[in-house]
Amino acid sequence: MKAKCYIRGCAAISPQESFAGHFAPQLLTLEGKSMMRVKEPDYSGFIPPNSLRRMSRVLKMGLVAALQCLRNSNTSVPGAIITGTGRGSLQDTEKFLHNIRDYAETALNPTPFIQSTYNSVNGLIALQQQCTEYNNTFVHRGFSFEHAVLDSMMQLAEGNATEVLTGAFDEMTDEHFYIKSRIGYWKNELTQPAELLDSNTTGSISGEGATFFLFSSKPSDICLEGIKMVYKPSGEELQQALQAFLSSQDIAAEEIDLLVSGRNGDTQYGHFYDGVEGEFSDARVFYFKPYCGEYDTAGAFGLWAAVKELEIGPAKTVLLYNNFYGEQHTFMLLRKAAI
Amino acid sequence: MAERVFITGMGMISAIGNNVEENFRSLRAQQSGLGHTRYIETIHREVLPVGEVKLSTEELAERAGKPGSPEFTRTTLLGLAAMQEALMSAGISDPRELPAAFINASTVGGMCDTEKVYFDILDPEKEGTFLKYIDTLDCADCTQRIADETGIREYVTTISTACSSSANALMYGARLIQQGLVQRAVCGGTEALTRFTINGFNSLKNIDKQFCRPFDQQRNGLNLGEGAAYLVLESESLVRARKARVMAELSGWCNTNEAFHPTAPSPEGDGAFEAMRKALAMSGRAIADVQYVNVHGTATLNNDASEGKALERLFGTEVPKFSSTKPFTGHTLAAAGAIEAIFSVLAINRQMIFPNLNFSEKMEELGITPETKLLEEYPVRNVISNSFGFGGNNASLVFSKYEG
Repeated sequence: MKAKCYIRGCAAISPQESFAGHFAPQLLTLEGKSMMRVKEPDYSGFIPPNSLRRMSRVLKMGLVAALQCLRNSNTSVPGAIITGTGRGSLQDTEKFLHNIRDYAETALNPTPFIQSTYNSVNGLIALQQQCTEYNNTFVHRGFSFEHAVLDSMMQLAEGNATEVLTGAFDEMTDEHFYIKSRIGYWKNELTQPAELLDSNTTGSISGEGATFFLFSSKPSDICLEGIKMVYKPSGEELQQALQAFLSSQDIAAEEIDLLVSGRNGDTQYGHFYDGVEGEFSDARVFYFKPYCGEYDTAGAFGLWAAVKELEIGPAKTVLLYNNFYGEQHTFMLLRKAAI
Repeated sequence: MAERVFITGMGMISAIGNNVEENFRSLRAQQSGLGHTRYIETIHREVLPVGEVKLSTEELAERAGKPGSPEFTRTTLLGLAAMQEALMSAGISDPRELPAAFINASTVGGMCDTEKVYFDILDPEKEGTFLKYIDTLDCADCTQRIADETGIREYVTTISTACSSSANALMYGARLIQQGLVQRAVCGGTEALTRFTINGFNSLKNIDKQFCRPFDQQRNGLNLGEGAAYLVLESESLVRARKARVMAELSGWCNTNEAFHPTAPSPEGDGAFEAMRKALAMSGRAIADVQYVNVHGTATLNNDASEGKALERLFGTEVPKFSSTKPFTGHTLAAAGAIEAIFSVLAINRQMIFPNLNFSEKMEELGITPETKLLEEYPVRNVISNSFGFGGNNASLVFSKYEG
């Protein structure tokens, strides 16, 4: 597949002050448990009050991040809307499960059921922007956002769209945090983001976020050159996939001046990051998970951070590497266009 | 010019049979699979009919060679049954022989089993094997377990666009092939009945207490169903290289969004019209080349009115034979697109049009009526299959007879 995919604009709602203005990463101080929550912007400038009251949290986050991305890109109706989410609206799924039990399957309010549907955010964006074109939603842990990116690149390559709105959204609830704590997703002891990478323990810090990009076939400053996903590789297979990806992109390891790494402080998966980072000893490394936490679609925040780094400079060639609990691994290569 | 994409294998399980041939026999015998649930604990048990697979989860596990493995949910086991048949029918003994994609679809993943133990999971006092279910709550779990059983790993992902999910999975796999990223993609969906979904659709007042009556004036909603179906898609060059048997060509597809309402289609069927029109244009076939439309036809008031209008707009006075097969299987949500894709291929290969059961009275807003009889030796060369869903997600696929 040969297609240039330029990033015209982006927007992020994250645990950082990322929604507007200059991005200055801040390490948060957590209380109680190893969990970061997003800083929600004022939604009122985006959604009419009547609708806002009815919408659950991740719907608001997803819709507003998408709308802000369109504003930032000076676009209103994209040629396709493609998203990824690992969990969709957890709040609505939980609410409907509880309602079924509490009301013994009678007189149930359908709203949580409708909003728990994974494609509900996509439908809302399409409805609000009156976009009747291609619309798709991937729900596959660390391959949710990543397949949304691949689908978007194919849409551009096929010439079906010249602009694609591509994004990801995931929230964390107290209930789901507890569920995942029972199978070791999080650090047992309260761990601060500043200590995440040196904690030398298993598990990570839970995060959440909604991040959108406008991909375009029309040239602009930053180009997403390629993506490669690797499913459940051994350490050796991952290294082979990395070399194959670099050579398919015609680039030498020395040319990468910034590595954006998804290292999440979980000692079980540190060896994958050690292996990849070891190939780029000359590159600066930016670790993004201390700023957004770990979640299914954290890779979207990683891509957003890579774009911000390219905007500020001096980095010109960035490799993003992320994996989700050792199963879904992804490389993305970005370049600042030579102007 | 992008490569053509062919169907070389099919596997399925539904309320009307545990494999493709059993499904075909039920269609031909006009034998519906609707009835009352044997396996779901719900107060709606005796009230709302469903299309349930006639095997318990334990029996499915036994057949899949996974007895006593609670982490293999009903969703996963249905999928495994369909996947094993699909690979066998494509003559693939080792799926690892070349890099392939598995594009799955699901709307609630392992909810069928998780919902039974959800409140135990939340109770810190409780420990037990149910902890094995925790990771099955999402949609990726079933996909990965099926992928891992077969060894397919080049691309592994899951699509969830409500009732159009597996139609989109087929489209995505076909596009991966056309872009040269893989030569083979196994695509489809798996869906198990859950108390969650039954209550969801019931709260929307979308379920008929009688057997569903698509395109009938007296229709009053859908019946939910369960099942799984996968189709093996291969590039033309791979088909030639390995001399694979071609069942049909996936010649056209289109995905549109209605941008009308979160759970209802536009009255004039704008999205359905565009999806069918563009899919047909892509296939290079004309309106007169279509002999059969396997409609979405859920029997909800809105869907059938909207889809019927779209058919009249696209085909004018020459609307081809059309029928909904949902009175056989129930509405299997994320699996529906792939189940009906297989029915479409069967219509071509067996030269047959399957009847729209339970129809008696023409809808007043439409001039057309569905085919109610089984038509044999009917010259079917091109079929449109429709899948429309919540969120305004519409998908149409075109299947064409393989003529070399």
